[in-house]
Amino acid sequence: MREFITGNQAIVRGAVRAGCNFVAGYPITPASSILNEIVRAFADGSGTVVQTEDEIAAIGQCIGAAMTGAKVLTATSGPGISLYSENIGLAQMGETPIVIVDCQRMGPATGGATATGDGDVMFARHVTSGSYPIPVLAATDAMSAYRLTYEAFNIAERLRTPVILLSSKAIAMTRQTVDLESVELPAAITRQRATSNGTFQPYHVDHPSDVPDFAPIGGSQRVRFTGSIHGEDGVLTIDRKKIDAKLKHLNAKIVGNAASLELVEADLDDSAETLVISYGLADGAAREAVKQSREHGNLVSHLTIFSLWPVPEIALRAAITPSIRRVIVPELNLGLYVEEIRKQVPGVLIESIQRIDGGLIYPQRIVDAIEQIEINAARGEEQLR
Amino acid sequence: MTTLAVKRNDMAFCPGCSHGMVLEHLSSAFDRMGLAPTDVCIVSDIGCVGISDRYLDCHTFHGLHGRSITYAEGIKRAKPDTTVVVLIGDGGCGIGTAHLVHAARRGADINVVVCNNFNFGMTGGQHSATTPQCALTTTTPDGSTDYPFDICQTAAVSGASYVGRFTAFDADMPAHLEKAIRTRGFALIDVWELCVAYYTERNHLNRKTLTELADSMDMPLGEIRNNPKSRNMAASPTPRKNHPTPEDDKNGRISPPELLWPRRTEFCVAGSAGQRIRSAVGVVGDIAVAAGLFAAQQDDFPITVRRGHSVSNLILSDSPINYTGVDNAELLLVLTEDGVRRIQDWDQFSPEAIVFADADLELPPTSARIERVDRKAVEKSAGKASGALALLAFAIVKGKWMDPETFRNIAASGARGKYRDQNLEAIRFGIDLANTGS
Repeated sequence: MREFITGNQAIVRGAVRAGCNFVAGYPITPASSILNEIVRAFADGSGTVVQTEDEIAAIGQCIGAAMTGAKVLTATSGPGISLYSENIGLAQMGETPIVIVDCQRMGPATGGATATGDGDVMFARHVTSGSYPIPVLAATDAMSAYRLTYEAFNIAERLRTPVILLSSKAIAMTRQTVDLESVELPAAITRQRATSNGTFQPYHVDHPSDVPDFAPIGGSQRVRFTGSIHGEDGVLTIDRKKIDAKLKHLNAKIVGNAASLELVEADLDDSAETLVISYGLADGAAREAVKQSREHGNLVSHLTIFSLWPVPEIALRAAITPSIRRVIVPELNLGLYVEEIRKQVPGVLIESIQRIDGGLIYPQRIVDAIEQIEINAARGEEQLR
Repeated sequence: MTTLAVKRNDMAFCPGCSHGMVLEHLSSAFDRMGLAPTDVCIVSDIGCVGISDRYLDCHTFHGLHGRSITYAEGIKRAKPDTTVVVLIGDGGCGIGTAHLVHAARRGADINVVVCNNFNFGMTGGQHSATTPQCALTTTTPDGSTDYPFDICQTAAVSGASYVGRFTAFDADMPAHLEKAIRTRGFALIDVWELCVAYYTERNHLNRKTLTELADSMDMPLGEIRNNPKSRNMAASPTPRKNHPTPEDDKNGRISPPELLWPRRTEFCVAGSAGQRIRSAVGVVGDIAVAAGLFAAQQDDFPITVRRGHSVSNLILSDSPINYTGVDNAELLLVLTEDGVRRIQDWDQFSPEAIVFADADLELPPTSARIERVDRKAVEKSAGKASGALALLAFAIVKGKWMDPETFRNIAASGARGKYRDQNLEAIRFGIDLANTGS
């Protein structure tokens, strides 16, 4: 059934579908309606929702609840993510599954509360001290917001990690036509529970990229949780071997499972010389531009990236088919993610299209870039920028 | 002492520090209450007392400085059967004051034990929120000038169910703790302690003079509040009905009529807050989606209500909408001066675009065709709350984006929600107005 809903409503629907049963949040434009909608969704007693005194308490309550086994979500915007920062590190260190939605605004600080942008793509990756990896997904519209919220819960549960889902004002508060029932979703994942045999070691793994089995706080097995560096027993340690193992594990369980985290949509043309790579808000314009440019007779490939971090290296390399000579990357920021693409595909000419004033990138700008590139390619020019 | 994993002498606290005593008191209280170690979760954070979790045999959660109360509340909400005790210092109370106040206000059913030794021990004896005036610390070498934070009064006036202030040497501490834990709602015990590493080195304070200090600061020891009738979050409200899911389309879906938006069309309605512009555009979007079209709606409005502009953009298309920006509106409905001012690109409209503008409005130069409407007359006849929707329906029919019959049919089958009848009436009014040509 088709519905006409906002990106924020889609996120709530995706969360409920994934089994989310605990939400704590603090109101902030443009994320506020997620909290409002959750209050309605949980009104039947299917979950607990609390509006806290600030963002620090919001994510704090989420982490506490998650360690009792709840599936938790919290939603905010850039200023709130800044306040979440330290606790995101706690969730990493304590291996806490938590879905964090960042409805991006424009610019730093208060920025443009009702203006849009994709400026948090690097911030989301490096959001907390230590720089250990965090999976980051980016919605492109209401439909993908629904699907990615669901996927974010699965990743969080499977890898026991915080997962950041990027949305932005122009997705969060725009109503779009969706058919949620038509979305094919994998089975919902719930974190692996520990067996009750023997003494429970809350952070025991056989292999660095494995994920420790979970036992809930308040359950029959004693659980230790700590934000301090710890051994497998969850007790602070100064043993360098244990420290090395723990921190390598935090990296390996994300990086070592990166292939399974790749979420992209590849619309490739084997003869294309031009590839458009897009994510977030710029994706809609990119889709439209690719469609129009193909109608003009151009051969163009298009790759939409939904999983920004870890960088989907396999899909990126696969999209650079032998005929690809140039890549166009439109972004609603100063050209941030394009640098990651440069690292992955050396030797290919890459053009960055940017907009930062709160407006959207027009499809025509991308069409022009595609067709300009075609002309330049015909001339044999090697440099565009 | 079933929840204590080690003896006091084996704990890493400085010799003479009171923290180990508090752990023993807590463990005794759990024993008195018959709580098994796995019935209890102790939440701690940064500060010397935060190293306690390794000495406890219960569930332990060790978090960020000053945030213990937030984790504890999350644990308790999600696992109400667990006894949750927060073990923090005066430092944590200072940095996390907001959490203390608001958890008490919410009646969070958690128990906060503050190991208050009047300074930061872990970082080398700096002043804390509870440092008495004139006390010497490494950051107040001439004596502290700040008024000390009264943790107990703060908790009490914020709605705590139980509040008590005792010294760590109080032999009845296990009983006090039991009482606090048994009291439903937010409970707090402020335990006055000696920091032998830093505080008592610089200030004359010992077991005996702790009591004198309490008197001199007008912070009496003893039970300060015991009101089990305070609000308790565990008393959850009666579950309400699940929120309404979108109604099933009882009339069945009708396929989009031919020539009904055979391509992408962008509309823009601009006016003032309070004119129900966003809901008018939303109604048309709902109807279009129910009829099988694709729609996207983007609104622009200030954070206030009933003041300033309100602009709503709508895209309708027979195919999925990739790009949701509205850059080439073909239909502009401009209701007030606020709307005129908010539209920035009057010179960009194509000659095919039609601007439906209130008769009183002065418009900037534009190549779009201009049609005048009498907003006030429509609001008078259709009702003020229905004016925007009636005029939008009028414009859609007048500009031949949709024939009146189709519009009526899809509106009747697609309109939904609380204001369905009122909205249908507004649409009928607009369509009739367009038909009569007046």
